[in-house]
Amino acid sequence: MNSARADAVVEQRSTSAIPPARRIGDPDSLLWRIVRPVGMAALFLTLWGLAVRWSGSDLFPTPGNVASGIVELIRKGLLLKYIVASVFRVSWGFALAVLIGVPLGLVLGWYSRAFQAFNPFIQILRPISPIAWIPVAILWFGVSDAAPIFLIFLASVFPITVATIAAVQNMQLVYLRAAQNFGLSTGELFRQVILRACLPQIITGIRIALGVAWLVVVAAEMIAVNSGLGYLIIDARNAGKRYDLVVAGMVMIGLIGLILDLLVRQLEKFDEVRWGYIGRRK
Amino acid sequence: MRKVLILIAIAWLIAITVVHAWLNLHLFDSKRVGIDDHKKFRIGFLPVTCHLTCPVTDFINKQMTGESIFDPVRFNGWPELKEAYLSGYTPATFILAPMAMALREQGVPIKIVYLGHRDGSAVMVHKDSQIYRMEDLHGKRIAVPNRFSNQRLLIFRALKNAGMTPKDVDLVEMPPPDMPAALYAKAVDAISSGEPFMAQTELDGYGRVLWLTKDVWPNFISCVLAVHEDMIKNDRDTVQRLVDGIAKSGKWIDKSMEHRMETAQFVSRFYYNQNPRLLSFVLSKPPDRVKYTNLALRKPDFEEIETLGRSAGILNGSAHFEDYTDASFVTDDSAVQPYAWEPNQNEQRPR
Repeated sequence: MNSARADAVVEQRSTSAIPPARRIGDPDSLLWRIVRPVGMAALFLTLWGLAVRWSGSDLFPTPGNVASGIVELIRKGLLLKYIVASVFRVSWGFALAVLIGVPLGLVLGWYSRAFQAFNPFIQILRPISPIAWIPVAILWFGVSDAAPIFLIFLASVFPITVATIAAVQNMQLVYLRAAQNFGLSTGELFRQVILRACLPQIITGIRIALGVAWLVVVAAEMIAVNSGLGYLIIDARNAGKRYDLVVAGMVMIGLIGLILDLLVRQLEKFDEVRWGYIGRRK
Repeated sequence: MRKVLILIAIAWLIAITVVHAWLNLHLFDSKRVGIDDHKKFRIGFLPVTCHLTCPVTDFINKQMTGESIFDPVRFNGWPELKEAYLSGYTPATFILAPMAMALREQGVPIKIVYLGHRDGSAVMVHKDSQIYRMEDLHGKRIAVPNRFSNQRLLIFRALKNAGMTPKDVDLVEMPPPDMPAALYAKAVDAISSGEPFMAQTELDGYGRVLWLTKDVWPNFISCVLAVHEDMIKNDRDTVQRLVDGIAKSGKWIDKSMEHRMETAQFVSRFYYNQNPRLLSFVLSKPPDRVKYTNLALRKPDFEEIETLGRSAGILNGSAHFEDYTDASFVTDDSAVQPYAWEPNQNEQRPR
């Protein structure tokens, strides 16, 4: 067991000592890192197209139908409009969730009596699907941008709050003792010590919450807004046999979700955050 | 580092807000200057032929005077449409007749002022199925749009005519846009909703008409125009203009087949976002599939709905014709004249 681990360490050292190879045969080269996901996507698209052909369905679109649907949306100038509308709503809903969720989580994580009072309340609200809130959103906000923003806020504020609470509660005591020795005030303690110590876990919570915020965009846009990728899907259902546009909406939501996740991952590269990750990879 | 991040976040929020305001809210659009949208009231409608007079009135007014008398808001489902009315966002709305009546029974200040259409529904089955009569639906699954929909009452009535009871079939609620796919996949045996979703299955070649409403319940009503009671009290002139406009549009649509085909074109393109072929089909095959004349409120029509609604368990009978309607806006249909507008080549896309 021990010797096996030692071997692994030696092997790791030896590989990390070699500069990154440029050979095509190297399984870690840039080429291979691009070929793998692209190849997987091509395989998936081929299987999808064949499955539609074999099943003989003329309702479900082939990848080609979806691509021409996306081209049609671009030609009409709708795609950009819809993407902007959805990103706008998610940006605001999510920004409000961070602005409220992080401070709330810090306070509830720190003051155990407040936690006792609020925690059941949060746990009750947390599992309620944003779809269940749609009637309430319409009654409160009418049919404006505020209603979907409210739904996106609701969906993303709880993951952030809960992650922040957990981060504060599990913080290492040594940071606090050190802070107390320096005689920090409560405000300084929160900003200089607690927030920084918890930032890595908070960022993880934020990353999950951004995924959730983007996930509920279809549900949030079921309200009679007249733009957005979620609206595109619902509108395509109204338009008769336009399932190519339904899937086009799904594809765009997926692709933008991928970009959002790549962006949030960049946050983890900052020194303030990176120390919290004992990463498996470089 | 943190300051930079916060600045980037704020810059992003401002940028996306400005682009959204420009592309989707048209806040910087020069055409808007001078048109005060806020003075106009909103009307809720769905992209179905039962609500066709709403976009037609909007379109013709914009073509004739450059300005509509109201602001049409398109919804995608009954619950959202109803909630927008309840919240006051849409003081006027096209709505299912039994739903408006039930809301009245629950104390909501709603008044039906005009009908949306007559006929215009159907029961469709899969073309491969062995269902040719109502009796063949025994033990089968039928999709209806909503428990408050007149299509459900229509099925009850057809069942009764066939000597059956609602227990003999399995009724499920389903949003009309999902019905064609459900029939295609044979997830349900029959579907029933307002057009154009029924015609779509026929046009695409997998649906067969079991019967049209006009065969079972001539002059069937499913949707009505309803307004908030306060609007009648405080702004009677506006309601009068609205009802006059809807009545004139109905007459205009029914005046000639050319008008119907023109309606199919502009409503599909500018309001419903559907294939114009679909609406052309619904409005012409057969021409009396859906009708937009004879839309003044008549007590016997509603009493029939009340009776059926009570037996279907969706109405309790506490509100009557005088409570949930105000029939004073158009009392004599024959006096209504269609809009004096003819389609021309230089139609403007409505804003």
